[in-house]
Amino acid sequence: MATEDDDDFVFYGTPIEREEDTISRKRKSVAEASGQLRTVPAHKQEVRDEEGRRRFHGAFSGGFSAGYFNTVGSKEGFCKGGSYLTPNNFAGWTPQTFTSSRKKRAEIIQQDVTTYLDEDEKAEMVGNSLGTSMQFDTFGFTAAEIARSQSEKEQNQRPSAIPGPAPDELIVPATDPIGVRLMLKMGWRRGQSIKSSKTNARSDARREARKAFLALSEDAKTHASDSKDAEDAIETVAELPIDDISQLPKSTPVRILSCFSCAYVSCHSDFHVYVLNPKQDMHGLGYDPFKGAPEFRDNKRSHLPGNRESGHKRLQPKKDGLFSFKSINVAPGFGTGALEDLDVEDEDVYATGYEFEAFVEEVEEPSRLAIEDKKKPSVKEHGSLPGFKAATSSDNQLERFDPPVVPKDFVPRHKFPVTHEVNRKLTEVPPAEVPPPVDNKLKVLIEGVATLVARCGTVFEELSREKNQSNPLFDFLNGGNGHDYYKRKLWEAREKHNDKTKPFFNEKVIPNAQKMTAESRGNILGEKPLQRTVKDIKTDVPATEVVNLQFHLSDTFTEPLSFVEPTEITKPFQHDPAKQERFEQYLKEKYHGGLRTKDAGGSSKMSEAARARERLEFEAAAEAVTQRKWGKEGQSSSQQILGASAGRGAQASLAEEVIKKSMFPKREEFQWRPASLLCKRFDLIDPYMGKPPPPPRFRSKLDSLISMPDYVKAAKEEEKTNLNKFSSTQADEQNGTNVMDVEENVEVENVERPVDLYKAIFSDDSDDEEESTNTNQPNDPKTKIEVANTALTRIVAGDFLESLGKELGLEVPPDQPYPEKHAKPQPTPKETAQEIQQVRQEKREEIDSNAHKDIKGSKNDTAELDHQIEKKVTKVKRDKNSSEDERSHKRSKRHSRRSSGSDGDTSDSSDGYRDRHRSRHKERKKEHRKHSKHRKHKTHESTSRSRHSADKEYGDGKREKRRYRD
Amino acid sequence: MSGLPKKETNVLKGHEGAVLTARFNGDGNYCLTGGKDRTIRLWNPHRGIHIKTYKAHAREVRDVHVTSDNSKICSCGGDRQLFYWDVSSGRVIRKFRGHDSEVNAVKFNEYASVVVSAGYDRSLRAWDCRSHSIEPIQIIDTFMDSVMSVCLTKTEIIAGSVDGTVRTFDIRMGRELSDDLGQPVNCISLSNDGNCVLASCLDSTLRLLDRTTGELLQEYKGHTCKSFKMDCCLTNSDAHVIGGSEDGYLFIWDLVDASVVSKFRAHSSVVTSVSYHPKDDCMITASVDGSVRVWKA
Repeated sequence: MATEDDDDFVFYGTPIEREEDTISRKRKSVAEASGQLRTVPAHKQEVRDEEGRRRFHGAFSGGFSAGYFNTVGSKEGFCKGGSYLTPNNFAGWTPQTFTSSRKKRAEIIQQDVTTYLDEDEKAEMVGNSLGTSMQFDTFGFTAAEIARSQSEKEQNQRPSAIPGPAPDELIVPATDPIGVRLMLKMGWRRGQSIKSSKTNARSDARREARKAFLALSEDAKTHASDSKDAEDAIETVAELPIDDISQLPKSTPVRILSCFSCAYVSCHSDFHVYVLNPKQDMHGLGYDPFKGAPEFRDNKRSHLPGNRESGHKRLQPKKDGLFSFKSINVAPGFGTGALEDLDVEDEDVYATGYEFEAFVEEVEEPSRLAIEDKKKPSVKEHGSLPGFKAATSSDNQLERFDPPVVPKDFVPRHKFPVTHEVNRKLTEVPPAEVPPPVDNKLKVLIEGVATLVARCGTVFEELSREKNQSNPLFDFLNGGNGHDYYKRKLWEAREKHNDKTKPFFNEKVIPNAQKMTAESRGNILGEKPLQRTVKDIKTDVPATEVVNLQFHLSDTFTEPLSFVEPTEITKPFQHDPAKQERFEQYLKEKYHGGLRTKDAGGSSKMSEAARARERLEFEAAAEAVTQRKWGKEGQSSSQQILGASAGRGAQASLAEEVIKKSMFPKREEFQWRPASLLCKRFDLIDPYMGKPPPPPRFRSKLDSLISMPDYVKAAKEEEKTNLNKFSSTQADEQNGTNVMDVEENVEVENVERPVDLYKAIFSDDSDDEEESTNTNQPNDPKTKIEVANTALTRIVAGDFLESLGKELGLEVPPDQPYPEKHAKPQPTPKETAQEIQQVRQEKREEIDSNAHKDIKGSKNDTAELDHQIEKKVTKVKRDKNSSEDERSHKRSKRHSRRSSGSDGDTSDSSDGYRDRHRSRHKERKKEHRKHSKHRKHKTHESTSRSRHSADKEYGDGKREKRRYRD
Repeated sequence: MSGLPKKETNVLKGHEGAVLTARFNGDGNYCLTGGKDRTIRLWNPHRGIHIKTYKAHAREVRDVHVTSDNSKICSCGGDRQLFYWDVSSGRVIRKFRGHDSEVNAVKFNEYASVVVSAGYDRSLRAWDCRSHSIEPIQIIDTFMDSVMSVCLTKTEIIAGSVDGTVRTFDIRMGRELSDDLGQPVNCISLSNDGNCVLASCLDSTLRLLDRTTGELLQEYKGHTCKSFKMDCCLTNSDAHVIGGSEDGYLFIWDLVDASVVSKFRAHSSVVTSVSYHPKDDCMITASVDGSVRVWKA
């Protein structure tokens, strides 16, 4: 920096000669070293640093920089505290004279850092401890210092709230010493020199140099006095423990105290401002991050925005000057290391006169850094990105919903509008009371009809009038016999109906419900036409009962049309009973309303398009039916409908497009459980709060296989055989290339309840002995059955495999050895069984013992499993006819044991069993919303399922899996 | 028609390679873009100034969203993670890892407390910004294919997926509504009144759905959208529908009668993203050609 400013400033004094100095010495040292290395024997060689200084001494010359000016002789200053822990640190030691501890009690030795420091180190570390020789103590500083340190000592011994010397260090006498005051009185002014010439010549030169640099770097304006004065001032101040910086800008009102020492600026006024700058950086004490790279310090400073305190601002140029002058700062506090890279300043380690200069800057450094650090966060706080402003007002303020304004003319009482039909009727004048007709039958009938009409509306009246036109009994509807009575009764019934309350409902229905036999209920609920009841009335069945029945029906079903409709159902799809069933289901849904089961009736077998088409067909048919009914069009409707549907079929391809269009977008609704935390974050109430976690939705059967509970353990034989079956298939398939596909296919098609895959594979049982007993000892009933079962499952599994292979498009030759991809050569089914059984014998025995414990619990599952599998098996069987007798034989045995049968060709008892299971199964399925549908139609599936449907099924399974992953 | 932003006022250049997303902030004063060069850039589109670049993503940035108070950004991309940024310092506050593959879209909720991301791994994930947890609050994986786009309302999470569905997860009701469009959904966009959702399908059709009934209200055709993830949006008055095309054209349809009101060449290549100013007649478009353009009326 000095060089930069060369042009602008006038030079005073002698420029420092350090540069040449060091260079020459360096050169010398290099020359010496090279010379020495060649000439001098090893033991005579000297170690010098790169600047040619001899830094290491022999052991007896005091080690590194030891002794008194590199001599052994010491002024007992060296090993005072043993600061260099080398074996030679006794080098300069002088024995103390004995003092009796009797007179003089041992003092409590207060140890602190200074105890272990050299004088010069102390001087570096604590500025205050540096003092002028008393000789120069013009201003009394040193005296004050001594006094203060004395008092400090005393204070230290007393307990103090603030431990440590730090606060004391900050204490500086606020008043000037008497010397200064005297001098001032005598006309001396601060900054003027007191001509004292007794300075060390060498340090004098140094001081001159420093002055020159200071003068250079000083801002000309702040330099109030001339440069001579400045020099003098520096000279004066040089020995004082005051930062020389502080002397110069007199106007600076701030006093800076670093954590190490204080530097103060004396002010014009009598008070001093103490500013405490805590250390805020993360460096160790005294660490200077810019040591050796002062240019970065400048850099850093220049990064700071200009809103610093004016005092600091003023100081800045000054410092720049200083730092440019002293490019490298020595870390204060501790001695210089042996190998530490030191600058020229180091050569003056032993020049006691002016060390503080180095120290001064050190001291200043941390404080400024601290200021910088303090500034930084504040800058970060409000200064975000240039050009970017964070929104001051965010939109997400809570919306406030004011209560609605109540209109002025609002009466806070509710007036019921009298528009209601019933109410209006009530207000009518009641028909006169008429004596009931003589015929008791008629009376009952009239009463019944009246109640019904009251309940269901006049539609019913019209309907029955229409229907019973020819019936003389119903003349009362057309104003004939008993009409008046009917009117009266109708009115009564209506009245009753209107203030009908629960008691009415409960009292009447429940006792009468007993009258209803299952048959009659079935008749009415089912497809039985309504006319029947009329006929019944005509015949023997007591009219009261029938009418009552109808009456209760209407009580239970709110929709009046509901039981009129089925009466008229003709069967437009008679040729296709399944379709007819669906049609009826459709009609039921249409007219009964209520929950619509989307995939009911096995229609899910069909594709979307087909279903939609069928739906359209049904709609047309239903329309036709109703038309015919209401319009009395008669018999031809069936034909019409068929024709219409046929016509539709012709247009199918065109319609399909339209359907596809109309099909999308298709909306589906599922239950979804948001995480409670999600609700919280969205500031919503958890809709499932407090409710138990939803039943785990099995994504796919394969997944659920793994997560199945271990009821398997306590399973009975049936289960085990099933497991065998599975394991065998799986074991066989495992080696195949299409393992996954096959497995999944298996699961999707056959598994109702998940089966533990691993258990199925590894913990399965089989029995070699039992296999043998099968042939040898057919007498033992239990083993026989077991063996039969296992054998059967083996065979079945083999067949099953083949069928699977077919389904997947893999040709599996029935009798040839299985392809190489199966690691294990595939034996005939029987052999497989044998083999596997051998392996699993032990396991089986173990399970056998447990087998009967939990039959009930596992029965459902096993049975279902069985019948599912067997269904499949029979399908397979259709393809393959080998060993038919054997199998059927065994199956019959099996049936005798457990009443779960195979499909169609088996006994009725097994069917009954299965039915039971199916219903139970359905119940359970309600838990699993989505899956239930999926499974249901599976159970309904006939054995003649095509490969296509199987494939589709597989696809569905996959989809399911994905869908229910959570 | 004069209100339509058809005049190019600024070109924001800086991205190297394709720009995949461009989004206005909450008040429309700034915009964020992200692209193949793995950076997110903050711009003042009205002055055309690039303010800051955010670098941390290891792969391309696919979507970015900023909180309504402009203080935080979330972004996602090909590196399978979400980044949660501090806007002013440009530092990543948190990274959310968990997606099994690329993350396609990301959105803050209203309170900026949750980030919802949509991934190629067929899942939606909700992440918590309030706590220090880096585990997702919830994973929704009822989708059958890559989830391309996500929108949030106060109570719902709406997402469109390649499986052809637009699914609405109603947090308040605890139900999921699935609207099957039959075509892979590329991008969804909510109308400003919140009653409709605009879905961009890969059969080059934009479909407008009524959210309450799931009914198809209108279809918008004419553009090309067959293979790219391209944004669509509604104008802030909900009067027009805007969508880019793979040939660099920009289409503006009338919302009601689905007629193409305007069609002009906006970019030299695929228009990947369109974002409409929340208040003014201004829009930004981003393209594979690496530029972001600002359009005003």
